Amino acid sequence: MAKKIKNAIPVVIIAIVLAAAFARFDFLPSIGDPDAPAHTRTSDYYIEHAVKDTNSPNYVTAVIVDYRAFDTMLETTVMFLAGLGVVILLASRPDPKARIIKPRKFTENREHLGAPAYQSINKDVMIKIIEPLILIYAVYVLFHGEVSLGGGFQAGALIGMVYIIDTMVSPGTISLIRLPKERSVALAGAGTFIYTLTGILTLVGGGVFLEYGKLPFSMSFEEKHSTGILMVEVGVTIGVMATIITILNAIHERARFDDDK
Amino acid sequence: MTNNMSGISVFLADKGIYFLTAFLLVLGIYGMITCKNYMKKLICMNIMQVAVIFFFLCFGQKNGGTIPVQVTGLMGARHYINPLPHGLMLTAIVVSLGTTGVGLALLTRIKEKYGSIEEDDIIKGENKF
Repeated sequence: MAKKIKNAIPVVIIAIVLAAAFARFDFLPSIGDPDAPAHTRTSDYYIEHAVKDTNSPNYVTAVIVDYRAFDTMLETTVMFLAGLGVVILLASRPDPKARIIKPRKFTENREHLGAPAYQSINKDVMIKIIEPLILIYAVYVLFHGEVSLGGGFQAGALIGMVYIIDTMVSPGTISLIRLPKERSVALAGAGTFIYTLTGILTLVGGGVFLEYGKLPFSMSFEEKHSTGILMVEVGVTIGVMATIITILNAIHERARFDDDK
Repeated sequence: MTNNMSGISVFLADKGIYFLTAFLLVLGIYGMITCKNYMKKLICMNIMQVAVIFFFLCFGQKNGGTIPVQVTGLMGARHYINPLPHGLMLTAIVVSLGTTGVGLALLTRIKEKYGSIEEDDIIKGENKF
């Protein structure tokens, strides 16, 4: 009986939460209402002044790396710290005496399960066709992030995906690039540093932090903004890519895929 | 009768998506409460994050608006959807990747110490001491 009550508690709580949310839906704006409160404050300013202020026709890029650049800088730092946290968590192994279940010599007496399923992916297709296409698309998304849809985060995720595919289709053999987790976390720090360096360059040029119009280059105002946005996007790309690679490498080298048998 | 039905469909067209996102959110909470497997708990946390992201993206929608990239000859804020929720959620997606990575690292440590990521097995192993 007590177990039944214990099982029923989450359902009751969730029913109450859903009912309360449903009762408050009248206060939320209708979907697509142009006069909703979200559209009447700052977003109109962003849309109308983005091209004049930042020389970036893509409003999302203008918002995240120009108007709210300080926010994005700390966001990149969060990514770097997440990669650093993974590396620190997996830097040591637990004390064998403190383990609840003693580690077996799992190379002996292990059932032969055959090759893992991911090794059956066609290497010729993945490495020769899919990976270059994804890389070309990533570079396009990075350099056209201010003109069309795209940006640094997406390009970093795409390049990280190429690394994941490369690791999966050729696990044991020598791959094109091998980044140990210590080096890739340093690379993530370098990406964050490129972002911060852009801000410091604007300080050198006499502006405030991350005011791209004051970059110390001999360019016009629009070109300075484009250059600043591109530098920041490169930093974000390197940071996100290296963090994905760090998380993958740190967990992949500790995971035993078939040690449960 | 028909009047009443059209009222319901108008309400669903206007506000129904909020109910779906709220349902997705409590689905994640329910999974986090009831699942005994820590990997499933992590997946449910991701479902919750996706629900919050959908909820924010609902606010960016605008009737008759196109994507937030300036088209030549199309001026005025009412022609473009709101870029602000998209920018905010773009960074939220990336941060959710970071939290998932740290969670997976913690799961690796738990698996190495306890030999399992099932809550029952971990409690059983702790009681042996």
